[in-house]
Formats: sequence, C-alpha cells, structure tokens
Amino acid sequence: MSATVPQRDEHSHSTAGGPTPDAEGTATVHPSSTTRPLRALVIGYGSPIRGDDALGPLVADQLETRVSADPELSAQVDVQARHILTAELVDDLARAERVIFIDAAANLPPGEVSRQRLAPDASALSTMAHFHDPRELLAWCQALYQRVPETWLVSAGGADWGYACYALSETAQTAVAPMIAEVLSLIGAEPDIPDTGP
Amino acid sequence: MSRTISIDPVTRIEGHARISLQLADSGAVEDAKFHLTQFRGFEKFCEGRPYREMPALTARTCGICPVSHLLASNKACDDLLAVTIPPTAEKLRRLMNLAQLLQSHALSFFHLSSPDLLLGWDSDPAKRNIFGVMAKDPELAKQGIKLRQIGQTIIEMLGGKKIHPTWVVPGGVNEPLDSDKREAMLNMLPEALTIAKDTYALFKTMVPTFKDEAEHFGTMQTMFLSLVSPKGQLEHYDGFLRLKDAQGRIVEDRVPPSDYPRIVGEAVEDFSYMKFPYYKPMGYPNGIYRVGPLARLNNAESCGTPFADVALAEFHMLQEDSGPVRSSFHYHYARLVEIIFAIEMMQRLLKDTGILDTRVRAHARGNRDEGIGVSEAPRGTLMHHYKIDEAGLITWVDLIIATGHNNLAMNRSIKQVADAYVDGNKLSEGMLNRVEAVIRCYDPCLSCASHAFGQMPLSIELKDASGTVIDRLVRDA
Repeated sequence: MSATVPQRDEHSHSTAGGPTPDAEGTATVHPSSTTRPLRALVIGYGSPIRGDDALGPLVADQLETRVSADPELSAQVDVQARHILTAELVDDLARAERVIFIDAAANLPPGEVSRQRLAPDASALSTMAHFHDPRELLAWCQALYQRVPETWLVSAGGADWGYACYALSETAQTAVAPMIAEVLSLIGAEPDIPDTGP
Repeated sequence: MSRTISIDPVTRIEGHARISLQLADSGAVEDAKFHLTQFRGFEKFCEGRPYREMPALTARTCGICPVSHLLASNKACDDLLAVTIPPTAEKLRRLMNLAQLLQSHALSFFHLSSPDLLLGWDSDPAKRNIFGVMAKDPELAKQGIKLRQIGQTIIEMLGGKKIHPTWVVPGGVNEPLDSDKREAMLNMLPEALTIAKDTYALFKTMVPTFKDEAEHFGTMQTMFLSLVSPKGQLEHYDGFLRLKDAQGRIVEDRVPPSDYPRIVGEAVEDFSYMKFPYYKPMGYPNGIYRVGPLARLNNAESCGTPFADVALAEFHMLQEDSGPVRSSFHYHYARLVEIIFAIEMMQRLLKDTGILDTRVRAHARGNRDEGIGVSEAPRGTLMHHYKIDEAGLITWVDLIIATGHNNLAMNRSIKQVADAYVDGNKLSEGMLNRVEAVIRCYDPCLSCASHAFGQMPLSIELKDASGTVIDRLVRDA
C-alpha cells in the first residue's frame, strides 16, 4: 500500500543559476551566479509521476529547504530537482568541487540506501538526447573542461514504479531521511533529521 | 512485393526505428520503408479527461519539445473557451516557444548531427559521436551546451522548470513576467547571438563539402507546409497556413488553422504506427509535403529580423533555380537561420514595453464543443484538435505532429539515399550511416526516441524480389 506524500512543487530549486523563491515566494533571479564556483552541487532526479522514481527530486526538495535556511550553506551549495539529466547540466558540474546525484534504484532492495563514487564513463552513452546517465555527463565534463568534480551517487531501492503514481511507497518513504542525512554528510552539513532508515 | 516484415522485439522498444529495403531482381532498390514500431495511444487515452488537463497530458508526449505541445494544446483550449488571450500573454507564449526552438535546434545541430557533419559519414563509427566532436572541436561542443542552456534557462525562468512547465494555461499564462527576469534574459541573449552567428558562418563554409549529400538527401519534389504571419513572414506561434509546391507556387494561403481538416488528411500504412498526413486535394500519396525549418524558410517571404533576413537570403541561394530549397540536407542550414531568428525575436519581445503587463490571462468556461490549436514546433507544424461534451470532458482527439507530417518525405528520402548509395546486394557501414543521417536531417521526434547520440539503434534489412531477407545489419546503441 502506498502512502501519500505531500504534493511536491515540481519547480527547480536552484539556488544558483535559475529563479529561486524569495521570502514572499516570488521567483528572483541571480544572473551573475551562473558562473560562480560551487562547493557542492546536489541534483535529485527522477519522474514525479512514476511512484518511487520520485525519490530523487523529493529528497532534493527537502534538502533545498534545509540548505536555503542556512545562508552560509546556501551560498556554497546548489540543490536542483530534475525530471531528467540534460546536457546543459555539464556547465554546472564543471563549476562544482563535489557533486551528489540522488536517484531511485531498481537494483537495490526496496528501501536500502546506497552511496557510491561515480567516475566518468563515456561508454554510458545515452541513445536519447533528452536524458543522460550521470557518468556520461562526467565524461562530457572531463572532455570539455578537463576537470571532473568528486562525484557521489546516493540512491535507494524503490518498490513501486507505477505509471501516473504520485506517491512514494511506504518502503521508499523510509529511505528519505537516511538519504538526506547521507547527502548532508557529503556536503559537510550537520544532519538534523533523525535517521529512520533501515 | 512483400511488405510483411516480422517485427523484432528490439525495435518495439522506444527509440528504435527500422528500415527495410526491397530489391528488384536486378539488385536495384525497389522500395524503402521507415518503420515506427512503437505505439503510445495519446489520442485514445485522453478521451474522458477534462479538457483543462490536456496541456499537461499532451506535454508528456515529448521530453524534448513539451513546450510545443503545451502551446498547441492551450491554443486548442483557448478555442474551446472562445477567448482572445491578452496581448502580453501572447507575447510571453511566443517567447517561450522561441526559447524552445533555440534549445531544440541547438540539440539537433550541435549534438545529434555534428558528429556526421564534423567527422564525416565514413569516419570510424566508434568515434562518430558526441565525444568525437568534443575531441575535434571542444569549443563547438561547449557552444552547443551554452545555447541549449540559455534556451532552457529562459523556459525555466518563464515556466518555473525546464521540462514540462505548467505556466501556460488555457486563456493565457498564469504569471506575468517581472523586470528582474526580463533583465536576466536580455543579458544572456547577446552571447547566444554571437554563438549562433559564428556557427552559421562556420557551417556556410562547410556546405560546399557536402555537395554529394545535398544532391541525394531528400531532394524530391514535394510541397511545403507551415504557418506564416499575416504579412507572409516567418511565424512560429500563430498566423495562417501556407502551402507551396516544389516550384515555389503558392497552393494554399491564408488558411485559418481551424480550417486545417480541409487541407490535411491522414493515411495509415500497415508497416508503421506513425500516420501519413497528406494534402487532401491531391490525395494520398501524391499530396506529399514537408514541414519544419526547411518548409518555414521556403514559405516565408522574410524573417523580419536583421541577421536572420540576411541568412534567409543566403539560404535561398542554396537552390540553383529560383524555386524552394528542395534538399532535406539543408534542414541543418535552416535550423541555424531559425536559431538566429529566435534570438533576435526574443530580444525584440523582451524589449517591448508591454511585456511586463500584468494582465496575462482571460478566464472563461468551455464555450465551444470543438477547439483547434496550431503552432510551429521546432520540427514543424503541430496540430491539436479536441472535441468535448457538455461537462467539458474530452470525447475526441486528433494530434498531428511535425514528424508525422514528414513521414512520407522521410520514406522517400530513404529510398533516394538507398538508390544513390546501396550498391548491389551488400550493405556497408557508410551506407547505413547515410540512411541514418538522412533521417536525422528531419530531426524526427519518434516520441522523443530518435533523438539519439552518435549511433541510433537501427536495423536495416535487405530483401530480394521474393521478399527474402538476404542481408541484415543491426546496430544497437
């Protein structure tokens, strides 16, 4: 049985390049920030309408709330929620010292959280132009900018990938807090959310 | 001649296309077919849904051009509401459509086609991909990323997100533009224009080296369909439908989009799930036409922006006679002209003092039982046509997408390339790649699927006159 999660705002929550919500909820723009270096870039990705595939963007949304509440952290960390990984992200990757991708995994036991280092892999070439494997984007980064950020993938096993499913399964929900803690640890922030993971 | 081809399960997967070539007894290519073997069924499963859901539903047709579906769908909904949207809302919608055009054309040219154009059709297939381009010309690859980033960022600034924004709504848009965002967008566009003009200048120098491909990549006689403005200028959002024949004579003009069913019919073939639109008065398949950048530039009398108009004049010189540019190879050229136009027009729209007006939405209930929305997607004319019942629920849907309009032309183009490059009874990798490349000229969006980097998963079958498969090349991604 799936549990309903709060309806997420599908907007991107970039604190760097794109529009960001201010205190009144109005989008503001920081055009000069698109070129500033970043200590860390966090990208949660997945489809918001395919059940547990929404883990990545949902975790990113919650992390964004945590990061934006801390001025020092938000000056150095950019959190993005993405449906898919697209080519223009390479420019953002190249500016970051450390990158953390957050994704749901079909090859992990449901609810299990995993953290792994990612390296560039040009053979992870996507057949589609509208989405990319993170390792492919790192290979782009290496080829174009001769630098690759230290990159991690924080993932959790999903249980339900149903079409037009807007809710996380109960099992996947248990992974949200430990995933957030994992990412906060990687970006050097103090986890303030109790670890309720498996 | 057998047209019954067993469908390999591999080709059922989204992103797979198949081409079959039929040989005559002499060994010459007798027929060629482009098979789309996936089925999605949007027209059917939308039935019963409230019409206001249609923009969000149909935008899911595509991850590359969701904005195009969003616009055509909302235009159909505007028609159902029987409202004229506020002028500022129209300008903002145009802005988003042009940003979409920019990012999509950039993807097609820089990332999908540049491996062929830069490295050559006969180059090592292992290196003929985006990484090969990065190795040979990293700056070009970076520029492609930058153009796409600018287009996507403008979409995100307007719509709140890059993929599947929900800012465009029936009756207009749901939020006006603020001055900070306008300033940020204007600040990005000079760099975009520089990149676009530099790339255009570079490609102009390369075109003569592709003389052979330009002669054989879809140079058939077809008509060209697109929207044009009331003044006959390049148009992507509204205006009238115009159809020119292969000699450049206007066949249909000032056709209101709502009158499209009079001129466009849809045929069905048993070898593909993609329909075959045609010009009704000429019947099927004689009513073959092309849409997209090539058609738009052939139909437009001018662009209406400075640099794009210079480029348009140079585009027309690609055709030695005075007729329309007929080679589908020149879709690439047309895309670059349109990128320049899109940037210049976005600058003009953003500098319009009315662009910040806060009246951006007309509110109404469904006031008609039938609505039609037509706009120009990056790949060509996009038509959404809905019927609703008294409760506002969808009872019937017809979607004619750009790639569908080009279906007949793509099939003819494959035949032409096969005639030119298939020699005897043996396929070669170079031939395989040229067949793929002629498809890519159209930048087809087979449910986003043929947006493939480097090597598209492709299966080519060579049959003899009895229909027996005598050779097969299968290439996975």
